[in-house]
Amino acid sequence: MTINSTESSVFQVPKTKGTGSITTDAVMESVGMYVWFGPRLVLADVNLKFPANSVTALIGPSGCGKSTFIRTLNRMHELIPSAALAGQVLFEGNDIYGPTVNPVDVRLRIGMVFQKPNPFPAMTIEENVLSGLRLAKIKNEKPAELVEKSLTQAGLWNEVKDRLGNTAGSLSGGQQQRLCIARSLAVNPNVLLMDEPCSALDPGSTLRVEETIRELSEFMTVVIVTHNMQQAQRVAQFTAFFLSEDNNPGYVVEHGPTVDVFANPIDTRTSDYVNGRFG
Amino acid sequence: MNRTVTASKPWKQRTSNDYLLVIATSTLPMLVSYVALKSGILSPMLAGLLFIVSQIVAGGVAGLIHRGKRGVGDGILVSLIGFSLATIGIIMGSVLWSVLYKGLEALKFQFLIQNNEYITPTSPLGYGGIGHALLGTIIIVSIATLISLPIGIATAVYITEVRGRSKVIVQSLVQAMSGVPSVVAGLFIYATFIISGVSAYNGFMGALAYSILMLPTVARTAEEVLRLVPDDLRSAALALGASRARVVSMVVLPTAKAGLVTATLLGIARVIGETAPLVFTIFGSARTNLNPFSDGMAALPLYIFNGVRQPFAPEQARAYSAALVLLILVLIVFSLARFLTSDRKRK
Repeated sequence: MTINSTESSVFQVPKTKGTGSITTDAVMESVGMYVWFGPRLVLADVNLKFPANSVTALIGPSGCGKSTFIRTLNRMHELIPSAALAGQVLFEGNDIYGPTVNPVDVRLRIGMVFQKPNPFPAMTIEENVLSGLRLAKIKNEKPAELVEKSLTQAGLWNEVKDRLGNTAGSLSGGQQQRLCIARSLAVNPNVLLMDEPCSALDPGSTLRVEETIRELSEFMTVVIVTHNMQQAQRVAQFTAFFLSEDNNPGYVVEHGPTVDVFANPIDTRTSDYVNGRFG
Repeated sequence: MNRTVTASKPWKQRTSNDYLLVIATSTLPMLVSYVALKSGILSPMLAGLLFIVSQIVAGGVAGLIHRGKRGVGDGILVSLIGFSLATIGIIMGSVLWSVLYKGLEALKFQFLIQNNEYITPTSPLGYGGIGHALLGTIIIVSIATLISLPIGIATAVYITEVRGRSKVIVQSLVQAMSGVPSVVAGLFIYATFIISGVSAYNGFMGALAYSILMLPTVARTAEEVLRLVPDDLRSAALALGASRARVVSMVVLPTAKAGLVTATLLGIARVIGETAPLVFTIFGSARTNLNPFSDGMAALPLYIFNGVRQPFAPEQARAYSAALVLLILVLIVFSLARFLTSDRKRK
């Protein structure tokens, strides 16, 4: 069954199942999100709430649209020329796709960490941490303190405090990824989106990053895409399971507290996936 | 229980057989074709052909002996690469040699600083110099760089970063421009500014003609290097809340810094030896003129062009020296760029 932008209503999106126990006020919410690449509908009717100061994990097999979805949450999706979407992303009650909203402001409040570590190679470690401020022309009176604070939050300070003037390329992959996290934290976003932040890291670095995520969630809302079930269980209070079957667009099969999704899934496909029977 | 361990490079060890093989494959074909040529069996053309063919065969055989069937392709390839190297080496070497050989005669310190004001083509060596032409070339090329570098980088940014609607048109225009014969660039400036009376002959006109030639080289090279900047970095910068302009100025351009210096250099190298654009624009001068906006100016290529056409030996020698100086100037520019782009200060 093929679906294009004009006949999207043909596809009957199954209702998202879940325990519905997310009653707290959401800081961010996606409402009826449909996403296209050219004529191809890749995500259908995603409704997710992200409560303040919580970690939500997005899980699901490859190609189900998790990464695409997370990129709609801070308007990175529109950078792909063929991209289109329908629906809303409410951030503190306002649609980030509203006609008067500047995407630059959105991305300042909703930061992002990518799958591959991507520090700026032409900058030193210190400059990388401060790059967000300089890129967005934000003044900071005490840059040295901010560098220490951000690097400490990202769990990197002790390893690099003596060589802040080295280029970012001199760090290991795991350190580079934590540097990218520090860079995102330096602009003090309200929400941090992480697209498989640990997929290129060794187990040790992964644990460090997870520790960082847990600490961040005390004052920040985190959304993390992961292929690692254990990771989702370790860091996330909430989990959403994405699936796309038979070339149909992806949708959210089940969404709820992580404990419920993993221990008592409502949908059999969720239990099959989290127990490693497919995907 | 002390064991002595010596570091070695087993992958670099060669047996005497290996050396024998190399020597045999590189001398046997030469010997065979030489004998064939001297004994009159083959004409020089055919002997040359025999040399090439036998060299390739010898390469294959050497590979076969050394590594069996799998080595044949390797051996032939090494032979072909050797040929290419030798061909380029001989051509470049003979150019360099003739410039060095003929150019060293007149090259003295005085030659670099004096001008040609009181010199005739027959004046003996030891009098006069190319100081005026050297300064002229430096001034004209600098102005041309100042003009074409910003425009060239802006063009590349438009093509790779802005990706505007006229991207394809701009791209093909730049491509078409790179095919413009240098004499046309000179004639264009001549017709537009000099015949029409907007300007007299002067160094700036030459710089304008040069920048027409430089622009496509700078723009295309800059385009290539900007393409090499990973998209990850652009995404990262955008996700941090940067505007498009900030992404370009703070992330893309600094990341491509070394490549942009290379683009500039290729542009300079493209024009620094060009004579045709100058013939119609700077007029030439025998005295030192540092003002690009008034009166004729001298430049090295024009000086060489005029000098080698003289029937007088001293003037020809001076022209060859000027060519040598031009070569050295290019060498200095390139070494400088290498030095500037190498990451010295950071580890």
